[in-house]
Amino acid sequence: MTAAGLRRSAPVATIDHGALRANVEALLVRGDGGYSVADLRHDAWGHGVLPVARTLEAAGVDAVVVDALDIDRVAREAAGIAVTSAGVPTLDPGAVYGLPGSDGEPVLRLSGFVLLTKDLRAGEGVSYGFTHRAESDTRIALVAGGYAQGVVRGLGNRASVSIGGTPCRIVGRVAMDVCVVEIGGTRAERGDEVVFFGAAGEGPGLADWVAATGFTAAELVTAVGLRAQREHTA
Amino acid sequence: MTAVLHVDPAAFAANLAEIRRRIAPADHMLVVKDDAYGHGLERIVSLAWAEGVRWFGAFDVRTGRAVRAEVGPDARIFVWIVATPGEAQAAVAADLDIGVGDSVLLEDAAAAAGTARVHLKIDTGLHRNGVRPEEWPAFAARAAELERSGAIEVVGIWSHIAEASDAEDDEARRVYEEAVRIARDAGLRPQLRHLAASAAGFARPEFRYDLVRIGAFAYGIRPAGGPSEAELGIRPVSSLRARVTHVDADAVRIGVGALDGLPSTLAGRLTIQTPAGHRTLQEIGGEESTVAGWENAAVGDGVVVLGAGAPMSVTDAAERIGTIGEEIALRVAPTIAREYRADSRRAD
Repeated sequence: MTAAGLRRSAPVATIDHGALRANVEALLVRGDGGYSVADLRHDAWGHGVLPVARTLEAAGVDAVVVDALDIDRVAREAAGIAVTSAGVPTLDPGAVYGLPGSDGEPVLRLSGFVLLTKDLRAGEGVSYGFTHRAESDTRIALVAGGYAQGVVRGLGNRASVSIGGTPCRIVGRVAMDVCVVEIGGTRAERGDEVVFFGAAGEGPGLADWVAATGFTAAELVTAVGLRAQREHTA
Repeated sequence: MTAVLHVDPAAFAANLAEIRRRIAPADHMLVVKDDAYGHGLERIVSLAWAEGVRWFGAFDVRTGRAVRAEVGPDARIFVWIVATPGEAQAAVAADLDIGVGDSVLLEDAAAAAGTARVHLKIDTGLHRNGVRPEEWPAFAARAAELERSGAIEVVGIWSHIAEASDAEDDEARRVYEEAVRIARDAGLRPQLRHLAASAAGFARPEFRYDLVRIGAFAYGIRPAGGPSEAELGIRPVSSLRARVTHVDADAVRIGVGALDGLPSTLAGRLTIQTPAGHRTLQEIGGEESTVAGWENAAVGDGVVVLGAGAPMSVTDAAERIGTIGEEIALRVAPTIAREYRADSRRAD
């Protein structure tokens, strides 16, 4: 899943262009051929404005709204689509990007990496303020991804990640660039992939983050997408 | 979107001077990870270098190399997340100081061509990276062996404290002192000891040792629930500004919203500076936010949303939603332009 050349010290946003195209085509069918305008501001809500514009062009979208700074390069890269910074989107961005509450499939999957694993003994605290203490001897993993990358600080003790398909709780405060998860008896080692939120049916979802933080899905996905290393899959 | 993040170089320089004064004779390692807490890495690093900062805390190798490119060969640049053998090699090649908190990285650093300059990290209770006390004697012995072979040079011993309570931090310091003693008994001669970040570095002299790693206070971010900026002698460096985009009958919309990194949960809780005085944000949408209007409000009027020149600092805002100022500062989107200017006091 993860291409070589990605830094293991920071999260990765994987953008699923198949899901994106399917989401948009479903909206276009429902739109009865009316003029279609998609919202690609904020670097396409953190999904990457140029690749998203190309996929939307191929899907038959008429126009895209982008940040003023992005107009020239998007117009050059996706010549078959009208590009504006002032238009009003007609396609629901939540459905385009497959956010919770829409019918769309999730397009952005956020993952990190195990940086190291270690023992945690009964009674020992984790991370700032010791908001979590181990009830019994266990194992923990330090994971790349913290609130500077949009992994919201309030997710500590309230959300889980998935390592090799096993749910692992985020324990203690999420720090600026890393968080700690309890792996218990799960096998994990440096470099293993850690899914923060993924596709439907793949462990934790963005809806879990919405419930844990009170933030909107739009602001959560945009924040992580703007800061992560991005890779694009067909 | 009309928002801009103003960064005031003079305020930053004043904070650096205050840090230097407070922590002397220890040196200040300026923490510049995450694009210098969102203030813009290149500008912040070059301003700090001009103000006499010689140590930079860069987190990862990519940031460390960017700092090296900006300020040249004489800076000391500390990185502590080195996630692959290739990154360890790149760190040594860029003459970075490597914080080593586990035995896998110790071997990676030793295997890199050249002599890796390392700071060994003891876990004093935070339980992130760092070697557990019961594993420390063997770890120190292995480091001494690698040093004798010329593969590494152990220049420092460090840790990071949880700041859960003074008593727990005192216990962490006891564990730290013991780790330094064990390292010396193993034949190591670390010259640099560092344990404290912003809060303990200011408040507790016995935590300063040789280096204090400070980011937040340099950017004027006070601790949530802690002393005020005035007590700390620091002031906010940045200022999030926006402009009026629409004027309705009794409300005004401004061009900054949740997708710019202003948490939507601040609606009803964040008071901003307008030309007519303070207003509380009624709604925070994705693109825009709404405040009660004022007489003669016009599209293009400037408002100060957060930080210098606004009624609330990032930490004031953070306290309203149960977080810390660093998170509010770092959520300001990278798509927002950064401007470097000294006139951050006026609303327009």
